[in-house]
Amino acid sequence: MSKIMTVDVLSSIKGAQSSETVDKLFEVIKNANTTNSNSLSVKNNALSLDDLREDVVIDSPLAEKEIIIENFPKEKNGYLVVTKVIEE
Amino acid sequence: MESQIHKIHQKLMNKEITCTKLIQDRLDLLKSNDNNTVNALLEDTALELAAKVDAKLNEGKEIGLLEGIPFGIKDVYMVQGTYTTASSDLLKKYKSSYTATAIQKLLDAGAIPLVKENCDSFGHGSSSENTIFGAVKNAVNPALVGGGSSGGSAVNVAKDYTAFSIGGDTGGSIRQPAGYNNVYGLKPTYGRISRYGLMAYASSTDCVGPIAKSIEDIRIVLNAMSGKDVKDQTTYESEIISDEAVTASEEIKTIGYFKNFIESDAIDAQIKADFLAAVEKIKAKGIEVKELDFFEADTLVSTYYTLAMAETASNLSRLDGTNYGNRIEGANLKDTYSITRSENFSEETKRRIVGGNQVLSQGFSDEIYLKGLNLRDQISNNFEKDFKEVAIILSPVTPSLPPKIGDSLKDPLAMYLSDAYTVGFSLGQLPTLTVPQGTATGLQITAAKNNDELVLKFANFLKDTI
Repeated sequence: MSKIMTVDVLSSIKGAQSSETVDKLFEVIKNANTTNSNSLSVKNNALSLDDLREDVVIDSPLAEKEIIIENFPKEKNGYLVVTKVIEE
Repeated sequence: MESQIHKIHQKLMNKEITCTKLIQDRLDLLKSNDNNTVNALLEDTALELAAKVDAKLNEGKEIGLLEGIPFGIKDVYMVQGTYTTASSDLLKKYKSSYTATAIQKLLDAGAIPLVKENCDSFGHGSSSENTIFGAVKNAVNPALVGGGSSGGSAVNVAKDYTAFSIGGDTGGSIRQPAGYNNVYGLKPTYGRISRYGLMAYASSTDCVGPIAKSIEDIRIVLNAMSGKDVKDQTTYESEIISDEAVTASEEIKTIGYFKNFIESDAIDAQIKADFLAAVEKIKAKGIEVKELDFFEADTLVSTYYTLAMAETASNLSRLDGTNYGNRIEGANLKDTYSITRSENFSEETKRRIVGGNQVLSQGFSDEIYLKGLNLRDQISNNFEKDFKEVAIILSPVTPSLPPKIGDSLKDPLAMYLSDAYTVGFSLGQLPTLTVPQGTATGLQITAAKNNDELVLKFANFLKDTI
């Protein structure tokens, strides 16, 4: 069963609507000529598997942890308070 | 223009000024400035660092070239313990818990950060009007915009409030404000400088780069920030660019420019005439100048914005007020997310997020997003072909003069189209420098990937040619 997602839901922005200005940009793309090649590259950002950083856990310094807690929008006894998760 | 870094370094070494006085004077200038360039001053830490430099000098010790040099940071970079707002309501009280790699390298070299600089919110804009701190006013004419998104950074450099500033360039955000304020601004090759700690806008074109008053200062700061970083796996090792390499008289034989940029109806008549006059002066030096074919402005702008919006929609989806940011509680979790984002993002940021989610959604992605990627490949291939024929591509920075404050917000399409000359080089991930010469908003010098040195060399040649 398909359910249509509106842009406000997709974007998690209350009341958001698509923009005529942006639609004009999309029209240009729709009408542009593309090549038949399937080589969607942006190839140069591919990473070599031999050159990945080590997969290890690094504990953050205390100063970093303290600032992370300071940034909590709502805090109780040093813990982050989040909104109750609803069930649908 | 002479190097500000060398000049200040000599003054400090000769004890013509103490570092504390130097820093205090610059802080006072920033505090009293009415161009709206400042989001936050880093006064206490700056003065502490200055006192350390003075102590070292008083002990008769040598200091490094960047030690004690005052600089500015666009307010999208993490600097531990400082507010990093991205000029947004959402992050108005957000404090960085860590420091960006590029900034850390400058701190390690002893440079002193003075200010987190005003910019378009999350880099979303070309005028530095999309900010909660008030529109940045142009350094030359305060009735005009400062350019964007790194407007505060370019104005601070132009006004001598900072010796250099670190901007961020996704589609022209260093080069265009540099052009609008008559200073140098470099977007290096993508990956030359780590993006770790730069708030992500469109990750495949985001670049860290310096804004300064001389080619030499651009070179020094570029060298200090470049290099591979395990925290950004798109970075690569690069060679230090030497002073000798930039000033060497070795000749560049052939350059090119995009014919359609100059023949466009949208270009200001004076910018066109000045650009062509600059080309004639270059020809007179015995350099061959070729006319090149390129994509139309509307294709470039649409391709860039389609991809950038898709990427920013993904990058900014993390900003929901859960772990940090200005959360506004709603009736339930989803409501909290959507009210928080609706109330705290600017209209321009919302426009880009919504556009990005549109193109990434089923039914649209093949028709628009994938087609945009295909166009980007064609643009990159076009560059590859061009750089087999010419060493440098020269172009104006903008088709028009800086708009009056207020005009860009009224007409977003005109604002997007004003990026026509900068976005192509972003999509190609090419090194491009704005020089404050040639036209009222400067010239862009572009070379092939990883050839940042050649860009600086040609800039040095232009300095004495036009």
